[in-house]
Amino acid sequence: MILESLQIDPAEFERQTGWAIRPEGLCKDDRCVPLPGGALGDASGAGGPRLDVRLLAGRLGMPLIHDEANGLWSLGPEADGRVLSSARAPELILPDVQSREFHLSSLRGTKVLLVAWASW
Amino acid sequence: MWQALRSELHPQGLEIVTIALDTDPAAARRHIERAQPEHPSLIDQAHLVDTLFGIVNVPSGVWIDEEGMIVRPPEPAWAKPRPPREIPATATPRQIAVITEVNKIRFEAEKYVAALRDWVANGRASGFALAPDAVVRRSRPRPIEEAQAAAHFELGQHLHRAGRIDDAVRHFRRAHELQPDNWTYRRQAWSLADPDQGPTDLYASDWLTDVLKIGAQNYYPPLDM
Repeated sequence: MILESLQIDPAEFERQTGWAIRPEGLCKDDRCVPLPGGALGDASGAGGPRLDVRLLAGRLGMPLIHDEANGLWSLGPEADGRVLSSARAPELILPDVQSREFHLSSLRGTKVLLVAWASW
Repeated sequence: MWQALRSELHPQGLEIVTIALDTDPAAARRHIERAQPEHPSLIDQAHLVDTLFGIVNVPSGVWIDEEGMIVRPPEPAWAKPRPPREIPATATPRQIAVITEVNKIRFEAEKYVAALRDWVANGRASGFALAPDAVVRRSRPRPIEEAQAAAHFELGQHLHRAGRIDDAVRHFRRAHELQPDNWTYRRQAWSLADPDQGPTDLYASDWLTDVLKIGAQNYYPPLDM
């Protein structure tokens, strides 16, 4: 996930990583971890409260790589487990060839074969 | 490539979704428009499926059942057998060496398609549908280096698309160092520097050198099915 700021809208964080803010803390599927103290900023600013990505990355074991020259950060996936923490397919949202947004979950009720390929 | 199989199996309840791992989508788009598929054909510029599913080479397939449960994690996937490639009379020594290695690669299309047909016909009762704990166990471990590689690769493709080529190369190289067995990270970066994925000043290796190093027969793991 590419970031220009380390303060992020919780809805955007959930869309990109699957981790949501709930009363129990940070949750994904059936797993929850406590929200680090100070990770959720106050809601007084425009656009509602913001999450502190640095604190979340530390709590979730996600690498945060800084490219200073370009003013960007990249948040990687959680480390130290398996790539699939559960057999439930993660949501996959990608554009199709006509640039329409496709949601993998739209095929619930059908068997799906996902095939990754490349032109190269 | 997949349209014929899709036409056969779609009436039995299978949808095929192809995902092109192409930081530059124009090339993928040309292939897709020529194939005129009826199934969803997606473009994944950032190689999101590497991160989400643990894909490290192409083609790779993932099976997902009607309830949205993965029943087979990523593994090599082919729609039809690949006849050996012929060496053109005009081929350069390097092209001859590449084709010679390609022809040593193990392709198990018949086995893969037979298993897919069995699953489509029998669902959960198919011996090829794995239980959830087996799916998780078969998925790749992700040490911190591979999580960091994903973050560097994402920066690389983002900067490449923004025209910051030198900075992109720096991150691609770092991703290659951190996850050396991810062919999609390497082949993507090599192909942006040279469509033939030959040696360049930008990267420490190239397709032929790396295939000779591991042995073409190990390019894909044998299907465990």
